[in-house]
Amino acid sequence: MSMEYIEKYRDGRHKCWKDLWIVRPIFVTLKLMAKTTVHRPITVLYPYEALWNPDNYRGRPGLDFNKCLGCGMCAKYCPCSAIILVDTPDDAGKTVSRPQINMGRCSFCAYCAEYCPVDAMTVTPIVELAEYTRADLIYGPRRLAYENTTEGMKVRNEVTLYSDFQNGKGEIRQSFFGLDRPELDEKKCISCKKCQKVCPTGAITMVEHGTNAKGKPILWPEVSADKCVSCENCVSACPKSALHLKEVC
Amino acid sequence: MTDEKKTQIPDAQAIAEGAEVTKEMVQEYTSQNMDMDKMWITMGPQHPFSHGLWTLKIQADGEIVTDADPIVGYLHRGWEKEAENRTYPKIIPMADRLCYASSMMYTHLYCMTCEKALGIEIPEKTKYIRVMADEINRLQSHLMWLAAVGTDLGNFTAFLWASREREFWMDMNVRLCGARMTTNYPRIGGVRNDVFDIDLDMNDEEKSRFMRDIVRCCDHFDKALWDIIALIDNNSTFISRMVGTGIITREQCANLGITGPAMRGTGVDFDVRRDDPYDGYDLVDFDVPVLSAGDSYARYMIRVEEMFQATRIIRQCVDKIRSLGRSAPYRLKVPSRIPAGKTYCRIEDCRGEAAMYLVSDGTDRPYRLKVRSAIFVNVSSSRDLLMGCRIADVPVIMAMIDMCLGETDR
Repeated sequence: MSMEYIEKYRDGRHKCWKDLWIVRPIFVTLKLMAKTTVHRPITVLYPYEALWNPDNYRGRPGLDFNKCLGCGMCAKYCPCSAIILVDTPDDAGKTVSRPQINMGRCSFCAYCAEYCPVDAMTVTPIVELAEYTRADLIYGPRRLAYENTTEGMKVRNEVTLYSDFQNGKGEIRQSFFGLDRPELDEKKCISCKKCQKVCPTGAITMVEHGTNAKGKPILWPEVSADKCVSCENCVSACPKSALHLKEVC
Repeated sequence: MTDEKKTQIPDAQAIAEGAEVTKEMVQEYTSQNMDMDKMWITMGPQHPFSHGLWTLKIQADGEIVTDADPIVGYLHRGWEKEAENRTYPKIIPMADRLCYASSMMYTHLYCMTCEKALGIEIPEKTKYIRVMADEINRLQSHLMWLAAVGTDLGNFTAFLWASREREFWMDMNVRLCGARMTTNYPRIGGVRNDVFDIDLDMNDEEKSRFMRDIVRCCDHFDKALWDIIALIDNNSTFISRMVGTGIITREQCANLGITGPAMRGTGVDFDVRRDDPYDGYDLVDFDVPVLSAGDSYARYMIRVEEMFQATRIIRQCVDKIRSLGRSAPYRLKVPSRIPAGKTYCRIEDCRGEAAMYLVSDGTDRPYRLKVRSAIFVNVSSSRDLLMGCRIADVPVIMAMIDMCLGETDR
């Protein structure tokens, strides 16, 4: 067997072991014995004590009910289609749409937390999810609630625009939501205000642009740059496909 | 001989009616009618030797293996078809599930293929983070292989020791991306989070505890691996099972398409990381271990040496990431639609050369995504590997190709 590599990189240490072929393993074993006598064991007694996990550990998703916009980004990006939006009464009794997660389908990828524009969805360290029936695995918006105590549970979504990076700027933006905004094809718009109704953040205002032949006002949606979260709800709600998301890269 | 009248054994009905069957009759019958010198033995799909669900049929002449036939496909789950129905970001968590031991590599490969198709260059810091993450993955994958080899050879101490060292790298994985195995860390155009974001030292924001601990892990691991080597490397039982078994030549490697440590064990000096560098591998300094023996021991040696090289790469990456600092960009915002075209990208996986071929049609979903799995090709060489070896050596020879069924069957 050719030893060219071994001789080069093992510093001749393998040679001295060959001479001491029995002494070295015994030394190593005794060393470990001494070590394990002094140090605590590397394993934990699971039901009584749990492993330490960092803040960013991806357990089941948690939801801050009042922070949530109901924009449906989590449902849109869920690779397992585990999330659907359900109508739930909020604290004031008003019906709002909030995510419901089927934990039997969840793959713990934390995309819901990553693509949440307001950090309402977070990762939690909860991993003990065993239930007796499949129906028990469906977590409604209230059951998902988890008190978000640390910064680490928020999955950050900082980005740099590719155009910025190419120009040598490399400025990190805090979030990629709101960079892409819907753009209107004015010829197709029928002033139905559906986009305004579905917008979860109220970013869309209908601005009057003169009147049509019948004397009715022509209303075109205008998107507020501060409020838009690029959720594409207006795009999918538009009956005439007049809106499309313009990507900024 | 053939013209002679053959001995007939009474059939079941005749025996029930009281016909006698003597030992001599049976012996004579078998020597005349049955080919007893060769037999097919089926190992798997549920057999202690097969790490995963696959079957190995071997033809044995006494104790010597004369033919082998691997059968895979028990874990086929239509991965490539599934990918066609998903948008590009949704395939990243799926790519994790291709191989549970080298999830980071496949996710990295997928993201790299998309970036190549988009024609974008990723930031320098991302390159180093990805290389570092890949090498953590390589280490834990190789350690799992080492643990498996230990059990295959009846060396339970090696299994426990390698598993213990692996835990440190799994902990690093958890802290880097929040999960032990299904990492979901690279993104198209960058990585999920900055290494400085995790476990922040509140007194000094520039000093991340992750960055501190990964260097400590490297220091600890270099010593610990020498201990494991001391235990098994010169062990006479280990050597007698490894040296001179499962020999393949350079020519066989070329014909069968074997890649990875198995190929480098036969003296082929080729590593995608060095010879076709991707991401940050051309920016770090490392050596490619090559041995020319071509037996199981050479393959074992290559993998162990790769672990030393991996810690060397991680240390360099940590230094580079530290010098770039928190303010350097690490994730780019890329278009969700990939322009029509065909892209091929390859990577040096822990087990060989993995590749993806993406056919995009301008929409936000791939038209076709083909995965080239290193193990699917390597396992097809089992006939050449096992020819002439003894049945007892089959588990250890097959362990040397580091079987992983998730990526093989897809």
